[in-house]
Amino acid sequence: MIYFALLILVIISYLFYYIGKKRALNLKFNGNIKLSSQPDYFGYYVVLMALIPALLMWFGLLLFKGNFQEMFVMSPILFPDISTWSDGKLGLILNKLNNLSVIVNLPLDDLTNGEKSILNMASENELTAAKNLANFDKIYGWSNLTLFIILPIILGFLATRSISGKLNAQPIVEKIITYIIKGSSYIAILITIGIFLSLVFEAINFFRYVNPVDFFFSTGWNPNRAFVVDASEGFDKDDLENAFGFIPLLTGTLLIATVAMIVAIPLGLMSAIYLAEYASKRVRDIAKPIIEILAGIPTVVYGFFAALSLAPFIKDVGESVGLPVSAESALAAGLAMGVMIIPFVSSLSDDVIKAVPQSLRDGSYALGATRSETIKKVILPAALAGIMGSFLLAVSRAIGETMIVVMAASLRANLTFNPLEPATTITTQIVTSLIGDVEFDNPKTLVAFALGLTLFLMTLLLNILAITIVKKYREKYE
Amino acid sequence: MVEQVNSFAIKTKNVSVHYGNKMAIDDVTINFTKNDVTSLIGPSGCGKSTFLRCLNRMNDVIDSCKVQGEFLLNGVTDIYGDSIQVETLREKIGMVFQKPNPFPKSIFENVAYGPKIHGLASTQSELNDIVMESLNRAGLYEEVKDRMDDIATGLSGGQQQRLCIARAIAIRPEIILMDEPCSALDPIATARIEELINELKENYTIIIVTHSMSQASRISQRTAFFHLGKLIEHGDTSKIFTKPDKEQTNDYITGRFG
Repeated sequence: MIYFALLILVIISYLFYYIGKKRALNLKFNGNIKLSSQPDYFGYYVVLMALIPALLMWFGLLLFKGNFQEMFVMSPILFPDISTWSDGKLGLILNKLNNLSVIVNLPLDDLTNGEKSILNMASENELTAAKNLANFDKIYGWSNLTLFIILPIILGFLATRSISGKLNAQPIVEKIITYIIKGSSYIAILITIGIFLSLVFEAINFFRYVNPVDFFFSTGWNPNRAFVVDASEGFDKDDLENAFGFIPLLTGTLLIATVAMIVAIPLGLMSAIYLAEYASKRVRDIAKPIIEILAGIPTVVYGFFAALSLAPFIKDVGESVGLPVSAESALAAGLAMGVMIIPFVSSLSDDVIKAVPQSLRDGSYALGATRSETIKKVILPAALAGIMGSFLLAVSRAIGETMIVVMAASLRANLTFNPLEPATTITTQIVTSLIGDVEFDNPKTLVAFALGLTLFLMTLLLNILAITIVKKYREKYE
Repeated sequence: MVEQVNSFAIKTKNVSVHYGNKMAIDDVTINFTKNDVTSLIGPSGCGKSTFLRCLNRMNDVIDSCKVQGEFLLNGVTDIYGDSIQVETLREKIGMVFQKPNPFPKSIFENVAYGPKIHGLASTQSELNDIVMESLNRAGLYEEVKDRMDDIATGLSGGQQQRLCIARAIAIRPEIILMDEPCSALDPIATARIEELINELKENYTIIIVTHSMSQASRISQRTAFFHLGKLIEHGDTSKIFTKPDKEQTNDYITGRFG
């Protein structure tokens, strides 16, 4: 039904575009009237005038369908005690009426036994309400169809008639289009805010069980202790005191990200310098895409590379020199992650180094500077902002990376700065807490949102920092 | 004879330059006299900038560029020979470009860049002296003395170009190459630079590429006219602009083509 209506709407739009344009051209050539806009704009004008009110009203109907249903069906005459019902009960009854409304107007012979028994179990008032609901749905459906077809046609014809020498369609059309594109960007922003708020609310739920001070400053991470929490009964807050300590996850995340950056920054920056300043065009054209492929490898592949190849190798090497290395060392996960983010550093840095004007290089060479002096003293300082930006982007990527650490890092929270020991990360624990039995009234599950919120704030902070640094240097260098 | 050799800052013989298969300079032989300003003039694409960039080997970085011929610095040192490193060469032959290209550093650091690289100052105060003296010679010191730590890109176009000249003379070159140094500047800044060139020729040999024939006649003692990669005529500026030997030169300077 809705697809059919949409198809008709598209056809109507096409027709009105031509009708509007045709009428404008007619006025121009047969009526000898000077138009104030290009003929195309009259076509757009008619289409927009016909469609926008219909779409807005349709959206409104959709948004308030539930409210209308309730107003129409859940009257106090049928349900005298309705004012005392809880939201949950209201929803249940409405659900039941919805099911009833499908079958209440059908002839008895067409019903299955199950459906008959549902009908028999319903009270007289409920049946009346279900009939009302069925009527409502019918009216709703028809009004939708009317909106989609009849309203646009009427409005379209009115708009077509209003075309005259005096009507200046261009500013109107442009204004409407501006509103539409403005709306699109606001939608993106609103969705971001929505995601953020959903994180915040669930995190608040979590903090009803766990004291924020315990969460942010305690060093013990034993979420399984939360099994003692039973939603119906109370629980002893002391049980949770050392269950959700964020500190070991933070140190684990930072440890692995640090290892990753120790790998990625020098390798990435040096390959960027090579590509931008030393490599011939042919080498660059081949090497750059190959390095960028590193970023395109699915992270899960890095994950099993780290878990199955890198970790045992590091363990063997470590043990051969007498170092105790865990099988799930932070080093393995960090190294794999470092390789993954090399292209973030190299590709972005290469671009900013390439963007340093050739005239600066010439100026330096002309003063008798060697290539390396020019790179160190002129090019890198000039490109510093972009390079810092690429570092911070890489850090933020490393902190948020999930799959590699889920596969290669440990699940055991371990407060350590030794990369040879196991460590776990924020993202790993978010995944773990949402796998298996998920109960949204248990802190063991809810902690995912608190962790997610913290992670979100951390990367947000990094991004703000990156933007500030880039801005500051840009001002300095322009 | 020795006198004769030493009076030339750069001697070139049978110079040809190719970009890939395209010939940019065709068998040019020209000598540049010491402590003179020599203008290279000619229509766009005649090869005068290419020729200028050969003199301090700035064309080295362009892969497709092939330079042939003889280039002698002070009549003895082969510019393209193995006995001299390109960095040492450029220490002797400075260059100022068409568009002012100060580094995105402070005014002080811009001028101190060359002396630091070549180790011309052993102490900070020596470095300060070099910077001050260079800025003074470029006629910029009075304008910038209170803001030496400001970023150089904040200067006006004319000031930036004078800074680039100060930067070039800070490493005490013998020769300064200028590639249309005034083409991005307004008439007042241009006049300022021309004045400066006139002062600088006391101590330096200056070779300048210019599009403006009036500029060439104002500032230079010698003028060389290039056309289609060939050196058509070379001589005293006064002669070139009043009674040139060649028909083509006459046509160009009287504005009949170019």
